[in-house]
Amino acid sequence: MTLPETEGPAVGARVRRKDGDLVLTGRGAYLDDVELPGMLHAAILRSTEAHARIVGIDTSRALARPGVRLVMTAADVADRIGPIPHFFDSANVGGQTTDFRVLATDKVVYEGQPVAAIVAETLHDAEAALEDVVVEYEPLPAILDADEALREDAPRVFEDWSDNVVVRLPFAEGDAAAVLAEAEHVIDGEIRIQRYNTAPMETRGYVASWGADGRLTFYASTQNPHPLRSHIAKMLSIPEHRVRVIATRLGGGFGHKFPGFPEEGLLCVLSQAAGAPVKWLETRAESMLVGAREYVHRFAVAHDGEGRILAIRDRIVANVGTLGSIGGWGMAFVAAMAFPGPYRVKHYDIESLPVVTNKPPWNGARGYGKESAALAIERMVDLIAQRLGLDPATVRSRNFIPPDEFPYWTAAKRLDSGNYEGALSQLLEMAGYEERREEQAKARGEGRLIGVGVGFELTPEGGDFPGSLVRGFDTSTVRMDPTGKVTVLTGVTSPGTGNETGIAQCVADELGLPMDDVTVLQGDTDVSPYGYGNFSSRGMAVGGGSAILAAREVRERLAAAAAVLLEADAADLVFARARVHVAGDPERGMSIAEVADTVFNRSIAIPAIDQPQLEATRTYAPENILHVPDDQGRISPYPTFPYSAHLAVVEIDRDTGVVKILAYAGVHDCGTIVNPTFVEGQFLGSIAMGIGGALWEELPYTPEGRLGVRTFKQYLMPRAPDLPDIAVGSQVTPSPFTLLGTKGAGESGTSGAVASIANAVNDALLPLGVAVDDMPLSAPKLLRAIREGVSA
Amino acid sequence: MSDTQLTSRDAAEAPRTTISLTVNGVRHDVEVEDRELLVEVVRRRLRLKGTHVGCLNGDCGACTLSLDGRIVKSCLMLAASADGAEITTIEGFAPEGGLDPVQDAFWEHDGFQCGFCLPGQLFATRDLLEANPSPSDEEIRHALSGNLCRCTGYQKMVEAVRAAAGIS
Repeated sequence: MTLPETEGPAVGARVRRKDGDLVLTGRGAYLDDVELPGMLHAAILRSTEAHARIVGIDTSRALARPGVRLVMTAADVADRIGPIPHFFDSANVGGQTTDFRVLATDKVVYEGQPVAAIVAETLHDAEAALEDVVVEYEPLPAILDADEALREDAPRVFEDWSDNVVVRLPFAEGDAAAVLAEAEHVIDGEIRIQRYNTAPMETRGYVASWGADGRLTFYASTQNPHPLRSHIAKMLSIPEHRVRVIATRLGGGFGHKFPGFPEEGLLCVLSQAAGAPVKWLETRAESMLVGAREYVHRFAVAHDGEGRILAIRDRIVANVGTLGSIGGWGMAFVAAMAFPGPYRVKHYDIESLPVVTNKPPWNGARGYGKESAALAIERMVDLIAQRLGLDPATVRSRNFIPPDEFPYWTAAKRLDSGNYEGALSQLLEMAGYEERREEQAKARGEGRLIGVGVGFELTPEGGDFPGSLVRGFDTSTVRMDPTGKVTVLTGVTSPGTGNETGIAQCVADELGLPMDDVTVLQGDTDVSPYGYGNFSSRGMAVGGGSAILAAREVRERLAAAAAVLLEADAADLVFARARVHVAGDPERGMSIAEVADTVFNRSIAIPAIDQPQLEATRTYAPENILHVPDDQGRISPYPTFPYSAHLAVVEIDRDTGVVKILAYAGVHDCGTIVNPTFVEGQFLGSIAMGIGGALWEELPYTPEGRLGVRTFKQYLMPRAPDLPDIAVGSQVTPSPFTLLGTKGAGESGTSGAVASIANAVNDALLPLGVAVDDMPLSAPKLLRAIREGVSA
Repeated sequence: MSDTQLTSRDAAEAPRTTISLTVNGVRHDVEVEDRELLVEVVRRRLRLKGTHVGCLNGDCGACTLSLDGRIVKSCLMLAASADGAEITTIEGFAPEGGLDPVQDAFWEHDGFQCGFCLPGQLFATRDLLEANPSPSDEEIRHALSGNLCRCTGYQKMVEAVRAAAGIS
């Protein structure tokens, strides 16, 4: 790409995406583009039952089919591979846990669980042979509902567990029970959130290939290549340096591609047994088995006559399916930890119960529980406003943590910085809130169901979870070659968010180089330092932070060499426009390429230049990751807390129940912005995901425990005409705890969108005296509420 | 499963046909299985990997390409039925080594993030602009409605289309 010769720094500039030309011309090289000589294809036979004993499996007919090389069941892989390591082991937080295997052994516990795998010369041959594997099941009672799973007499999903609760996750301050008991105003409510997922356009996929030297190369559509490498080595009981994971360009992640899936280890074994590279691609229908976000909130909120929140109690039940090793159940932790959001609430008592059922396990999903908390909190605020006849925006203003109270402690967060009122004011101004309300009043007079909804989200980011490979720090190497060009090797990965470009912007500035002189490599465990990949909007804070520190070290070495060559003091040198010169005297300088060339060609020979290497590796962890409880027992596993304010205007069609979004506006604050274009793009995409989840997307199950949707014809993701033009504003309150002041962008948006849409739809229903808090707010549900006057 | 079912499907090799496709200006005579989809032939036999598979159901549009001047979802077509067709894939969207103005506009306006759906969006855009050089936002969104994107929320994509059309 070509960049204008800008005067200013690259950080903060609207720099175009690196490698855009490759992606635009079809040369992006995603997982399915990997093709190796002699490569075979795998298809996976999955359980048709939600809960059943496997009585027998007959693979002989499948094996006899044309093109089929291999059919494997649990018995065939037992000697080759151990249990799948957990991405987040619930035992880490004192919970119940269990081992998961790549193929079901004697029992299946969810529909879609891998039971057998077929390797064939073509994918068609492999898929055709699936029908010829005969599995005899003896059905067992399946529990699909989390409340039912909580009953004392409920059958257990895992026989050796004491009940179906993974762990109890309490977060409390003050004495909520006492305040609730005595308060004049208390509102009780229930909010149900449906199971839905992230559906990246590229599904998961893997290619396993064993070299003649016994070394495994594993190509993966994964967000976390190093942790995946650790998992694979552990499962296969081989030294980790015998495994190379290459994360190919990701066609979206959003949590769907966190590791811990059975297919990862399975592919390694299939390839080993087949003696050839093997590829497996998740079908779209298979991707819909991966769940997320099925919660019920049962809450009580006490408030005073001015709308100030006095206390909150919330009992959250999360239906996390069969737990699994992919770690999505951790969202139930965040769904409670994120309370009480941006508000100053002295008394709260939140408990989240991740409950196992016979649905497939959750994986991570953008929002990671924060969207569940935001919806509950923001609905509470609107209910208070409604009860008191106050404007919902006013009630928010009365409850926000004021800017001068940061850092602000809650039970499990030390909020870094913020100006919540500022973001809300900017939003209301930008969206023309007063006029919207006036228009609404007029439209209501005409009998139209128009709603205006505010939603505020607080988005804890950069989380660090010791005891797992989900950590809050990361590592980068900055390497300058003899021509003065730079390669950055970093442990963070990009699912399409653009952090490779952002990191290049940071490094270019540190070294005074144009962006084109900086290449960023990520995703290959043979190339990059051990790192934790992509999650929790961490790319810029820790990938950028570590790259900046490493770049500064390289600059110091360059400066030391240039000081000798220019006969100047290193401290007086300026790096800009690919040159190093003495401050105040641009003529007294040389190109960085010349300095680099000298370092590699003449070090040691020139005794004063004695560091013959322009390479540095640094690790960076933000401050404010606090695991040692303070005197009040408080911790903060998340260091930074971006936030955003949202406003949605909707109209419900009385005759069809269909919601149309008439206007939408959002103001975000993710601290320092490295690239405003990318931050806006992430925010917009995240809002779209939230809107989809609030109104349309759902993974429903039949009473027998079978998924009721398999394609995008039933799983209704937003299409271009479904969405309005969204107005975006920004506010910058830097984090005092990160190197650049960044807080994390990428995840923000989805939570505020879910909340603002839910509030807007319910605001539209207000004149009818009904409310719907059973997500998604789909047309049939709204129509029922409108026609029958029944809340849901 | 009964034995009769097994016998009836005890498959021989899949039937094959040789077809002729002109792809990005180059003629290919290629033997395909009758059951193969056009997208499979383009990706696996012609090794043009820029055409992506997101659903294999015609829902997502990632496999969109141009066939005899119309845009089609290549997962909804058997390759054999495309015999004799002239096809343009994303690799032939612009002259070798360059970018078409539509591609440029998408880069400049950040009309994509992960890029997986992008080939389809570009074909849908060019198809729109050929028929309607000055579309409204509503017409742009309608033109993109067959192409799912999970990253962008479409807004910067719409901006890119507007820019490609020269609408400020």
